[in-house]
Amino acid sequence: MDKILTLFKREYRAAVRTKSFLISLILVPIMMGGGFLAVIIMENKQETEDKNFAVIDHSGMMVEPLKNALEIRNEKDIYDPETGEKAMSAFHVEFLEPAADIMEQQRTLSERVKSTELHAFIEIGPDILHPSEESESYLRYYSEHSFGDDIRYWFRNIINDQLRILRVSELNLDAEQTADLFRYLNVEGMGLVTVDKKTGEQQAAEESNELQSFLVPYVITILMFMLVMMSAIPLLVAVMEEKTEKIAEVLLGTITPFQFMMGKVMGGIGVSLTTAAIYVTAGIFTLNRLGYESLIPYEILPWFFIYTTLFIIMVGSGMAALGATANDNKDAQSLTFPGIIPVILPMFIMVPIIQDPSGTLATTMSLIPPFTPTIMMIRLATEVTVPTWQPIVGLMGVILFTIFSVWIGARVFRAAILLQGQKPTIANLFKYAFKS
Amino acid sequence: MNIIELSGVTKTFGSVVAVDNLSLEVPKGSIYGFIGPNGSGKTTTIRMIMKIMYPDGGSLRINGREHNSHRLQNVGYLPEERGLYKKMKIGELLQFHGELNNGTDLKRKIDSWLARLDLADYKEKKVETLSKGMKQKLQFIATILHEPEIIILDEPFSGLDPVNAEIMKDVILDLQKKGATIIFSTHDMSMAEKMCDYIFMIYQGKKVLDGTLSHIQDQYGSDTLRIQSDMGAGALEGVAGIEKVNDFSKLQEVRVASGFDPQKILAELLKKTRITRFEIAKPSLNDIFIRIASPDKKEDNHG
Repeated sequence: MDKILTLFKREYRAAVRTKSFLISLILVPIMMGGGFLAVIIMENKQETEDKNFAVIDHSGMMVEPLKNALEIRNEKDIYDPETGEKAMSAFHVEFLEPAADIMEQQRTLSERVKSTELHAFIEIGPDILHPSEESESYLRYYSEHSFGDDIRYWFRNIINDQLRILRVSELNLDAEQTADLFRYLNVEGMGLVTVDKKTGEQQAAEESNELQSFLVPYVITILMFMLVMMSAIPLLVAVMEEKTEKIAEVLLGTITPFQFMMGKVMGGIGVSLTTAAIYVTAGIFTLNRLGYESLIPYEILPWFFIYTTLFIIMVGSGMAALGATANDNKDAQSLTFPGIIPVILPMFIMVPIIQDPSGTLATTMSLIPPFTPTIMMIRLATEVTVPTWQPIVGLMGVILFTIFSVWIGARVFRAAILLQGQKPTIANLFKYAFKS
Repeated sequence: MNIIELSGVTKTFGSVVAVDNLSLEVPKGSIYGFIGPNGSGKTTTIRMIMKIMYPDGGSLRINGREHNSHRLQNVGYLPEERGLYKKMKIGELLQFHGELNNGTDLKRKIDSWLARLDLADYKEKKVETLSKGMKQKLQFIATILHEPEIIILDEPFSGLDPVNAEIMKDVILDLQKKGATIIFSTHDMSMAEKMCDYIFMIYQGKKVLDGTLSHIQDQYGSDTLRIQSDMGAGALEGVAGIEKVNDFSKLQEVRVASGFDPQKILAELLKKTRITRFEIAKPSLNDIFIRIASPDKKEDNHG
């Protein structure tokens, strides 16, 4: 154990004393959080540049309503009521009669969109007032990127509002009586009513917000991903370099391959826990200062540290073993991908897991040991109550799998660390693991 | 008392027998030289002694104890290919190796050794700033810093200039005087002749020589002539009783055919030229090495 500690100290110092550690400590959260922040900022930031449209109205009933709506928008709605500054784009619409050759007309307008003279053109079907399967009751929005272009909803709303008015007027109903006919109510997402453990008082349910539902599991997952990436994954190249530079042989005269491997893995854990402690402390401090203390998931922090530590040991021992089989950078590159799968895969399924943390996919994946640390943490970080037995069973699975990883990693490491020129093929890996 | 004992040790890699049924006894306090051509099994033998590799057969005892998976205590090992953490400072690197070997009073010893090997000014510098020879000395200090009882040095003099090789030689002899047992492998036959109490030669995995230098030389008898003459190597052409000539230009080393009288060779030469030196000697270790491991010999062996 003393020798593992000596090696741990060296690895830890070698990692945290470098400038690259300090830089990554600052840059990585900025880069990862920056993307999230950019989305929020861009969401709130409206474009103010004027936009031109063309409308072909086959129904003949939407020109006036659209003109009226455009007048209100361009003269009033686009200006900030408090500052009076322009806050949105003004729309200028060119109303066109449908041409005899509609295909030619569509092509000409498409050219004008391509040349950016127009932002988009809209085609309103002739039978929109009473749509049926046989009738031509379409509403089409043609643009370069119509899927992501939210402006189409403005036209949709204006046209649908006018259609409702027309349909109601056909029924000869009083407009006042029908004022709330189409008023929708939103569903408010609420958390559950809880009881304070200390006082026994009932706590009112709080409104669940998008930030809390998505941000907490997102940050926890990204943090865990980052910690494993900065500690366990680099072990592959580090061990490969120590093998090729013959440092391994010098050390193996004094320490066993197992001590060597574990010293390096422990060094990685030390670096990760230092980073985690800095980020978690800074996060708690910042959220408290900003008044978002309710976002801090204190109850899952112990799980986070336990799972992260075991995850690093699990992945780190595997990466160190793979590093021992590599002879050069080319080998190292080809071995990184299989080693990194338990870290990368949960990132791909993070969104569906956050959306349905109690679903079959989430529950099953969270109990498969290589994926348990990340997936279980995502589930624990959401507002859903995960049955108590699941994180415990998950933890037991992770402990057993980590012991297996270390055992098999040590066997591969011992067999391969001094071998030169042997390619790290699957057959060789199997041989090192089970026959050496 | 023997501090290291190998008995019938064998190590194979696939179909290649790297070490074949090797038995060896290293007396405590001795300097044991391991010689042999490249790829003959020296490093594999050393790695097995160090427990970096495990023999496939035979037994190996260190300090009277059977080989097991525990690392050896009180042993210093300098491998053939040096490996140092490039980004570490020299002082920190030595402290790390000292701690790894359970050394004591490390700070004082580090300063003392750095001063002795002329590296004191580099203590706070990074390893990557050192020259090859300096790195060699640094790794040597890391090997002996914890004052081990057994010191195993694989090619300790390679890459050193004559001054540093001399310093290293003096240190090794000092360590022996203090009671350490030293095994070193080398291709420098003259160094082995001068320093080693015992010499062991391995060739194609098999032990071919083992004993003191004089014991080894006795096996070959006084069949070597060192001759200097006005005619040089030309004088030896056509002279009967000469098995092989090793021409050093100013001096010729001649191997006499078994049972042939050297005096007859001298008489023959005197008819041709003026002789300035005629010495009947035992073969040098270098000569013995070449006799065993030369390509001609290999062909003979294969034949």
